[in-house]
Amino acid sequence: MSNLQTTTPIEAINNGALLKVGEFIREHQSRFLVLFINVIQRSLIWILLLGSWFIAAAYFPLGDNPLIPSPIQVSVALWNALPELWLGTISSFYILIPGFFLATILGIILGITVGTSKALEKGVIPFARVASPIPPTVYIPYAIAILPTFRLSAIFVVFIGAFWPIFQNTVAGANSLEGRYRDNAKILGLTRFEYHYKVVFPGSLPHIFSGMAVGLGFSFILLTVAELFGANSGLGRFVQYYADFADYPKMVAGIIYVGFVTFLSMSALDFVRSRALFWQR
Amino acid sequence: MSSVLSIENVNFSYNYESPILEGINLKVPSGQFLTLLGSSGSGKSTLLRLISGLQRPTSGNISWGDKEITGPGIERGIVFQDYALFPWFSVVDNIALAIGKVKKGASKKERRKEAEEYLLKVGLQDAIGKYPFELSGGMRQRAAIARALALGSPLLLMDEPFGALDTVNRARLQDLVLDLHQKSSAKQTIIFVTHDIDEALYLGDRTIILGSSPGRVIADVVTPITGNRNRSAVFESGEFRGLRESISEKLSAEILTQLANV
Repeated sequence: MSNLQTTTPIEAINNGALLKVGEFIREHQSRFLVLFINVIQRSLIWILLLGSWFIAAAYFPLGDNPLIPSPIQVSVALWNALPELWLGTISSFYILIPGFFLATILGIILGITVGTSKALEKGVIPFARVASPIPPTVYIPYAIAILPTFRLSAIFVVFIGAFWPIFQNTVAGANSLEGRYRDNAKILGLTRFEYHYKVVFPGSLPHIFSGMAVGLGFSFILLTVAELFGANSGLGRFVQYYADFADYPKMVAGIIYVGFVTFLSMSALDFVRSRALFWQR
Repeated sequence: MSSVLSIENVNFSYNYESPILEGINLKVPSGQFLTLLGSSGSGKSTLLRLISGLQRPTSGNISWGDKEITGPGIERGIVFQDYALFPWFSVVDNIALAIGKVKKGASKKERRKEAEEYLLKVGLQDAIGKYPFELSGGMRQRAAIARALALGSPLLLMDEPFGALDTVNRARLQDLVLDLHQKSSAKQTIIFVTHDIDEALYLGDRTIILGSSPGRVIADVVTPITGNRNRSAVFESGEFRGLRESISEKLSAEILTQLANV
């Protein structure tokens, strides 16, 4: 009896290919497993939430409650509303971007100026402690009365909401700057401007970015309110409008979309942060 | 221009109860490598800050040449133990910043080029284009020394610069500093603070021991090891050992007095 196994050429090629794939999987087995577990961990909450939503909509009497439209209804509404939502995004950003960037620029400049002067700190910080918790919505009537357009008043409200956290965090950053950096700057004979621009600003960036993240969050929240009087369209207005009309699938679609836009914006900020703070380990 | 650093009757305290430095009188001739030795809390770092001008003495007078020192400046460069460089600038840019303060009219290119030359002087040719966080502790301190050199300060102050380094790196950098001191055309006056007796005796032309609480001069020793930098020969010589013994004794006696007084 022959010990040789006879195989056809095609079988041989297939066997070869299978062997290669098997080898690959075996080699990278642990890596795939780790990756898989990682993804499951991160998605667990989403899976649970989406799962409960589907179940609630399908199997419980709650499914008839208009406030919890079925996932299918929401998906259809979302798809149909996309053009309107896109226009709303642009409109919202017309208010968000000027407000947030103005808050960032002023917050950083004033924050560094105050944070590096003990005298200014003593004068300004007690005032900031009282003024910053005031809800920006309180300023709306004044903003409308003083500013020429409704849109500017909306921008002002967003600006105020983002300014205080950025300003206060910048002051904290300037304060907590390592003493050695100050000593080094003095020995090198840096001018006041050089010191602020080349030492205090980079050194305070970690704190500044924390303030910006908080400020961005506040901006989105205030956007909804600001759009009620400040714009004819916009994401906040979209959600509020369809809530008023009890068109809940559209409303929920809007909420999901806004959540997604917020997530993208925060991620963008995070990306900028990781590039700017490359020197931090 | 040779200037003498004179410290006259200097006292220093943060509040009036516990003086940190008391009655310090010291004259440092130009070009001397002086090591300040003392246990922790002996105010040696404080004395260095007073000399640099970062802080003013409570009473007394510190002058360089005939001018009283009233504030920090590039004529009194300091190398600290840590945070010597700005982490958000590359090593070259850190040094170029210093050069820009000495040669005010230089262009960016000129400053960069000169910065690279200083890096070569301290053996950091591999660090060109790198940031401080990419370097090891020993390399970072070399870069800090390069920056101090770039300032061209006639008085160089070093505050336990090698304290955080391992033995091998410490030995290498000690020899580097000695080398630079001996080769410099306009001899710099160096004041080097340390708590390591061996380091103090090996590096200094003269060693001053500071006691603690309050900090005052308890010994002023000329170390006759100048010129001979063969480590093993130095550390094994009877002269060195004898000196080390007596200084060790003085420091221990000081510590015991402290403990007795508490």
